[in-house]
Amino acid sequence: MSNPLTRATPVVRSATGLIPTISGRGGGRGTHLVQYLIVAAVAVFLVALPYLGVTKFQIGQTTTILIAAMAAASVSFLVGEAGLASLGHGAIAGTASYGMAWAFHQGWDTGLSIILAIALTLAVSLIYGLLTMRTSGIYFLMVTLAIGMLIYGLAFRMSSVTGGDNGLLLQRPEWINARENWWIFYYLVLALLIVTTLVLWVVARSPFGASLRGVRDNESRMRSLGYSVAGYKVAAFMISGFVAGISGVLGAWNTQSVSPESVNVETSILLIVMVILGGVGTLLGPLVGATIVILVKFTVSSYVDRWQTLLGIVFIVVILLAREGVVGSIGKLTNRIRKRRAQRAAGEDVPEAGASASNVSHT
Amino acid sequence: MMSRKMSVRTRAFAVAGLAVATALTLAACAPPGAAPKSESTAKSGTLKVGFISPTSGVFAIAGQQMEDGWKFFWDQAKNKAGDITVETTYEDDAGDVNQSLAKAKQLVEQDGVDVVVGPLIANTASAVAAYTFSQGIPNLEPVAASNNLTLSGANDLTVRTSSMGGTQANYPGGEWAATKGKAKTAVTLCSDYSFGWESCAGFKQGFEAKGGKIVKQLWAPNGTTDFSSYVSQLQALDADMIYVATAGGAPGPAFLNAYSGAGGNMDKLLLNCCALDQGTLVSLDKAGNGDKILGVKSVSYWAEGAEHKATQAFVKKYTEATGTIPGAYIAGGYMTADLVSQVLKKQGLVVGADLVSSITKFKFDDSIFGKVSWEKGNNMVAPVYVREVKRHADGKLYNDVLAEYDSVSQYLGKDEKAMIEQDKSKPYTNAFQG
Amino acid sequence: MLDPVFIAQQALNGLSEAAVFFLLASGLTLVFGLMRIVNMAHGAFYIIGAYVGIAISALTGNLFLALVSAVVVVAVIALITELGLLRAVRGQELPEVLLTLGIAFVVGDICLWIFGGNPENLSSRAMPAGGFAIGSASFPWYKVLVMVIALVIGIALAIVQNKTRIGAIVRAGVDDRETISAMGINIRWVFTGMFIVGASLAAIGGVLDSGITSILPSGGNEVLLKALVVIIVGGLGSVSGAAVGAVLIGLIDVFAKVWIPELSYFTIFLPMALVLVIKPTGLFGKKS
Repeated sequence: MSNPLTRATPVVRSATGLIPTISGRGGGRGTHLVQYLIVAAVAVFLVALPYLGVTKFQIGQTTTILIAAMAAASVSFLVGEAGLASLGHGAIAGTASYGMAWAFHQGWDTGLSIILAIALTLAVSLIYGLLTMRTSGIYFLMVTLAIGMLIYGLAFRMSSVTGGDNGLLLQRPEWINARENWWIFYYLVLALLIVTTLVLWVVARSPFGASLRGVRDNESRMRSLGYSVAGYKVAAFMISGFVAGISGVLGAWNTQSVSPESVNVETSILLIVMVILGGVGTLLGPLVGATIVILVKFTVSSYVDRWQTLLGIVFIVVILLAREGVVGSIGKLTNRIRKRRAQRAAGEDVPEAGASASNVSHT
Repeated sequence: MMSRKMSVRTRAFAVAGLAVATALTLAACAPPGAAPKSESTAKSGTLKVGFISPTSGVFAIAGQQMEDGWKFFWDQAKNKAGDITVETTYEDDAGDVNQSLAKAKQLVEQDGVDVVVGPLIANTASAVAAYTFSQGIPNLEPVAASNNLTLSGANDLTVRTSSMGGTQANYPGGEWAATKGKAKTAVTLCSDYSFGWESCAGFKQGFEAKGGKIVKQLWAPNGTTDFSSYVSQLQALDADMIYVATAGGAPGPAFLNAYSGAGGNMDKLLLNCCALDQGTLVSLDKAGNGDKILGVKSVSYWAEGAEHKATQAFVKKYTEATGTIPGAYIAGGYMTADLVSQVLKKQGLVVGADLVSSITKFKFDDSIFGKVSWEKGNNMVAPVYVREVKRHADGKLYNDVLAEYDSVSQYLGKDEKAMIEQDKSKPYTNAFQG
Repeated sequence: MLDPVFIAQQALNGLSEAAVFFLLASGLTLVFGLMRIVNMAHGAFYIIGAYVGIAISALTGNLFLALVSAVVVVAVIALITELGLLRAVRGQELPEVLLTLGIAFVVGDICLWIFGGNPENLSSRAMPAGGFAIGSASFPWYKVLVMVIALVIGIALAIVQNKTRIGAIVRAGVDDRETISAMGINIRWVFTGMFIVGASLAAIGGVLDSGITSILPSGGNEVLLKALVVIIVGGLGSVSGAAVGAVLIGLIDVFAKVWIPELSYFTIFLPMALVLVIKPTGLFGKKS
């Protein structure tokens, strides 16, 4: 599978292998079962977590991580399948959060609030999509950055609606309140994470996903074949935005507050960091990346004053040495080991690293 | 090929479906027995404090100083208030609401603190206060300055211990300008966010109450680094007094440099607490511009040159120990520590609502802020000073007291209910004038 | 507010803002033009340059020394960055941007650690005093000096780009890397040199700006955003675009604060958004 981070390197590489990817490429016969077993194991672990003697606070932290993982997954989808690195998803998720908070203050009931929040998010995603559909690469990044800044400015300025720099406070619905039903909220978040990951996975493996990857790899060729490149990009943005919106709704409930920080550039940057650290386009990457970033930001920072430096250094190291992220690198490594073992078993010479017939590879 | 793909996909769906189903089933069952949070050590003679402030990020200097002030007191007191030990855990929230809440949760749920002190930035303070209240834990705010923290957003467990709302702290400045300041007209320049709005509202109300007229109000976005455009406007408007309110940190020196560079009349200026805090004085003096701001006036609840015995003793002690003259953030942290210590000495180890009521009922006549008490909404009532910059014998710049207004309340002499109602229903924009 | 003297005052304010914008943006746009990197650590070089310049200005009272030392320190850091880190990801857009982002994180925090959070200013001993009268106000000579320096640097860059061999090599490198390498010129050192030049310009901008505004360790991000706005409006890769963009943004910003203050937050980003929608490559940018 082509990862925009590893493309254009002289040696052809595959970023997958043992760890399942969204588009399910890579690996040979039998690895699929192992891949899915690993994912299942993680899922079962998360389901059982509250019963493993973990404290309420730790479940709360895990909830935060899961919500971040959902947002990161939406970014990962866009980067991995469409090759579009967006610095605007903080604003998109944050829009949903603002929608929830505002509706709460108007006294709307939960269902209507959610509908409003998602509708707003889809509208914003559409705007993003329309404004960026003719751009790609660096220009795409800049446009998403610009729109994100504008949304931040709006959140700040439209203070009678958004509460300005103070933001808005809200409350969770009674059935997931923070006092006794925090574990119900945890399961809700977990269930939604699994569902949204599944949705993205299904989309990636569908014909739409294949065409999207075609657009990512060679726009002009797809255009000459008659595909509406802009249409695919906008659609990808909307799908990604929808998932980000759900994470925004959950995020608003999680902290019971929303403020301009939810939509600022730093949030979007942290999402990209999560995606890269975890591994673009992998199924578990967003979760791994979210875990690392959230733990450094919230937990390590209690013990290390210079945690921002630490985060920056980790990020730099990953970009330099393990661009496929944690999950992707593990996949690459295990893949290489398997191939060498298989080839040795077959009595052949060990081939050059990376080149393989059973791996799908692109330039 | 097709069938293998199908079976893989079906398998994946099955796994996911199983996980979701399990999650939902478990959710419907009895809640898990979560490990109980660590017991409060109230029985054993220790008060556990959780201290949150932004020690990294844009507000790093303010957060660090608030922490320094608090720490200084307890270092001197060897972490003891009488027989009671006070144990503080320090956390950084980087000025970010999500991080602030996460830290608050950690301190309350995991570390089992008895009281949370901080955070600093207005929206983080509101969010944390709401959270600690829901957990039955007192929250002491040493420096936060949003009006609503003790008006429409007040709760029984949150106390603003050593600072004032923006409107409260600047109202006397307006009064002074129209009376002793002999200004008939004034123009205001304030940062365009809630702190700036509330500060400007305070000045405007006080000024107009004494017969002054506000000619125009300018609003500078947060993050303005070059004030020359505003300075030119201020000069063109030619009012008797220019009131400027910004957040602490960079805007103060940036504005003063631009204003003095453009030949502005320094006598017309009246700044707020944070535009002319010690940080500003130090950075201007260091760059060799200290003499340009001699005599510049400001209004604040903290004046390091105030002649109160307690203030002078503290300033002397702190400056000798650290080389830094304490500004409002350091004073806030110290004063809250002082307050907690005296309350514990008097009442013994109190937690929860008892701690709060002990604090709000405490008669603190000789605090470093002067004579201080607390009012409805758990807000600090204290003197507000009109200050001017003077160079002392040690060669450094201080804010000395020009005029003192005692016992300034956030209700400003008006009807309490009306003030709270107004705070709740105000238009949340810079059109807010109190 | 339509008094000609007032307008003249504000125009001067806008132009001095533009001078600083140009210094910040020119380095960024040069680096992009040749290397196709948006150097997110640009703000970090600004901050380091500013702190070094401030320290030297306080020590020596000499602006020129402050500028030179800032440039030297930043150039060394830029060299190490480029050799050690960026070469490893040469040619891949996204990793380069992300890498510089990581560097920006680290530098901002380290600066906070070393210099503390107090705002710092350029020492007044290093600055010319007083100003010339304009109406009842005065315009500081220091700002005139900043504008002159920005102009000189702009002209120097134009001359180097168009009239010297180095400039020709760079321009050729922008258009066609392979041919340049084939001609025996070591393109990698050209890249390194350009990165150092870009960083040095940021450092100069930092030192000069510290005489106008206050410097905080977190200031790098604000600066980066402003520079990005200018180069997007002017066109990524074009120095003349950076100049025009800087003047445009500077003047719009200043006059919008007077005439449409409600939009003053957006005055910087609205032109950028408009350009991105209408002509994404910017006013003077080429289609890549």
